[in-house]
Amino acid sequence: MKVFKIILSLLLAIIACLLIFFSINALDLSALLKEIVPLETMQQDAGLEKAVKRINDCLADGNQNRALRSLNRLLDDYPDKVHLDVQTKLDLFFYRNNKVMLTLGVYVLFFSAALAVSAFLKQQKHQTAVLVAILVASLYAGIYIVEDLVGVNSMLMTVLKKGAIYALLAVSMNLLNGFTGLFSLGQAGFMLVGAYTYAIFTIENTSRAQVYQYYQGGLVQFTLPTLVAILLAGLAAAFFAFLIGLPVLRLKSDYLAIATLGFAEIIRAVLQYDGLGRITNGSNLLRKFTTFNTALFPFAVSGICIALIALLIHSTYGRSFKAIRDDEVAAEAMGINLFVYKQLAFVISSFFAGIGGALLAMYQTTVQAAAFTSAMTYEILLIVVIGGMGSISGSILASFLFIASSEWWLRFLDNVTYIGTFKVPFFRSGFRMVVFSVIIMVVVLFYRKGIMGDKEFGLKSLMEPRKGGKRRG
Amino acid sequence: MADSMLKLNNITMQFGGVIAVDDFSIVVKQNEIVAIIGPNGAGKTTAFNCVTGIYPPTSGQVFFENRLIVSNYPNKKMKALYAGGNKNFPKEKVCLTPDKITRLGMARTFQNIRLFKSQTVFENVLIATHLHQKCNLFSAVFRLNHQQEQAARKHAMDMLEVVGLLEVKDELATSLPYGQQRRLEIARALATKPKMLLLDEPAAGMNPQETAELAQFIRQIKERFRLTVLLIEHHMDLVMSISDRIYVLDFGRLIAHGTPEQVQDDPKVIAAYLGEDEE
Ligand SMILES: Nc1ncnc2c1ncn2[C@@H]1O[C@H](COP(=O)(O)OP(=O)(O)OP(=O)(O)O)[C@@H](O)[C@H]1O
Ligand SMILES: [Mg+2]
Repeated sequence: MKVFKIILSLLLAIIACLLIFFSINALDLSALLKEIVPLETMQQDAGLEKAVKRINDCLADGNQNRALRSLNRLLDDYPDKVHLDVQTKLDLFFYRNNKVMLTLGVYVLFFSAALAVSAFLKQQKHQTAVLVAILVASLYAGIYIVEDLVGVNSMLMTVLKKGAIYALLAVSMNLLNGFTGLFSLGQAGFMLVGAYTYAIFTIENTSRAQVYQYYQGGLVQFTLPTLVAILLAGLAAAFFAFLIGLPVLRLKSDYLAIATLGFAEIIRAVLQYDGLGRITNGSNLLRKFTTFNTALFPFAVSGICIALIALLIHSTYGRSFKAIRDDEVAAEAMGINLFVYKQLAFVISSFFAGIGGALLAMYQTTVQAAAFTSAMTYEILLIVVIGGMGSISGSILASFLFIASSEWWLRFLDNVTYIGTFKVPFFRSGFRMVVFSVIIMVVVLFYRKGIMGDKEFGLKSLMEPRKGGKRRG
Repeated sequence: MADSMLKLNNITMQFGGVIAVDDFSIVVKQNEIVAIIGPNGAGKTTAFNCVTGIYPPTSGQVFFENRLIVSNYPNKKMKALYAGGNKNFPKEKVCLTPDKITRLGMARTFQNIRLFKSQTVFENVLIATHLHQKCNLFSAVFRLNHQQEQAARKHAMDMLEVVGLLEVKDELATSLPYGQQRRLEIARALATKPKMLLLDEPAAGMNPQETAELAQFIRQIKERFRLTVLLIEHHMDLVMSISDRIYVLDFGRLIAHGTPEQVQDDPKVIAAYLGEDEE
């Protein structure tokens, strides 16, 4: 087994090096062009010469896509004049799929390294860590490659981006509602605080006059780095949670729902208040702040945040949260200070809700307080319930399913559709939401505890069959 | 009174019109096993709840190792009445929360079993070890407290071994039979490393053989962990066999106290309790 792993890892390493070597080597298109179209052939044909010149011009401008398109046309127009052997074909392939091949190379290299490491590890725990590392690397490499293939603005990538953000929002809500047993309805409020904090501090200075046109260019006149602003967004939301928690979490748990619902409505109104316009831009949009293009960004930020939450839940602190959920009186009798731990869970959950809000602002490219209604909270609550209260993987799975079906898979229901001359009944704008609601009702009816219950979709359950009798219920 | 472990001074607990505990005073000395008995609804559990901080009593004080942990009096006007000429009447209200009282070294079990139902037997005990893990959020999340965690797990395992539940440690806590659930509650209480253990009807729902084993077991853990035990129990044979002293409550009032023999022969007790119950 060990020998086999090492040989395999060596083989993979060689493949990876080849991939990386070729993709770096194939970067120079003008050199490649000289091989494909030899000098003598080019001089014989004026049209061909012009085409080659056009490609070189494009390359000089740094516009690789245009160059590639021109090259394709050239290959189509002069199929018999060009010189294509295996070597040049391979180079061309690597040039065309440069990003993908390079990523693949790096990924395979990583994989072989992980394999080699795992060959020398004895402990099960370390093996699992290696497996997790491989899975995470596969995920990110996969996203990068898929994004390159289908395009940044395709529906798939849109769903993935929004799904990743909602996954963070759902997991942060689950930390409070599912793991600590505190019922809060303030998610939209904390997201709003996060989104506004982020937006206000990252609008480019040159655009401020334009964005704050009704408020003399606004009060804040500096721009923070993106990650700092995201962190600040989380801290701002956490601060508000702290203030709400101080009086409310000393009372019985029921009051938290009312207080947070109230907070969400109030903060929404306050941020639209004209008097704060020089900071919040009143009821106008905030825009022209730093956003992201690639889906890797929300995946990275959400991924790190969710990993932190998962680590927290499996620590001593997480055990105390679950104890409070199961039985407050008994938890207190075990020496757990209810107020401190509830406050902690609430503040941490809101911190991540704030970060989720910042990401959502980036995704939307504009934010307006009016959009953060309690309907948004219910949407996330629904995801948590569908995924299973007390299951992180359930929340993540449900987020992607929810976003994919509401934004993508059920879209066709909104279009008037004809099959032949037969007009399909009910298919019109708004029907999607009806079907969507029915699906959700069915899920909730048949999976009382959500898709995952309070179990996790773990590596263990994938690798080995579940042992009978354990962890039922 | 250097060796007094727990002292209740004139505890009164009133729920609206019901006086559940009425001017109740007891003293438990170090290393004793003391029982509180009385018919149903006599106010035994309520007395426990006042001691462990679950509700503040209407009036009275509780001392644990001569430290005031709970103190209350009705209100300002009534204070003069209660205090009378007593100069030592406490000025301030004190009501430590249950977690603080547990931290001081008093652990309890519950009459209506309160286990963490979504968790395994082992996890139930592990939660109780958190008291002795001193780590901040950062080191907990990034697992810098590895050694502490290992020690806690070992301690939890030890406690499970003490109560004999090691074989079922990965079962869901609520899937255990009744008797084992009660043992698990004791294991959980022991995992907080208490000096004093309060047991609320530990033998409820057990058959005679299990009850006899329990008596043996309580004596064992008392010796092994140098505990002081205060227990509420209805099984008379258990109470009579292990208690050093017994307090008898009826309608919230203390009607008798003394050694098991003294209490057994007390006519008031026989009338109030033993007469109408079994025996
Ligand atoms: N939280 C409460 N609110 C109102 N009344 C209460 C409360 N807790 C207890 N009581 C009342 O106080 C009285 C004493 O109850 P308690 O539970 O202390 O009795 P007990 O001696 O433990 O009885 P048992 O042997 O049945 O456990 C009862 O009349 C009960 O109804
Ligand atoms: Mg009782």
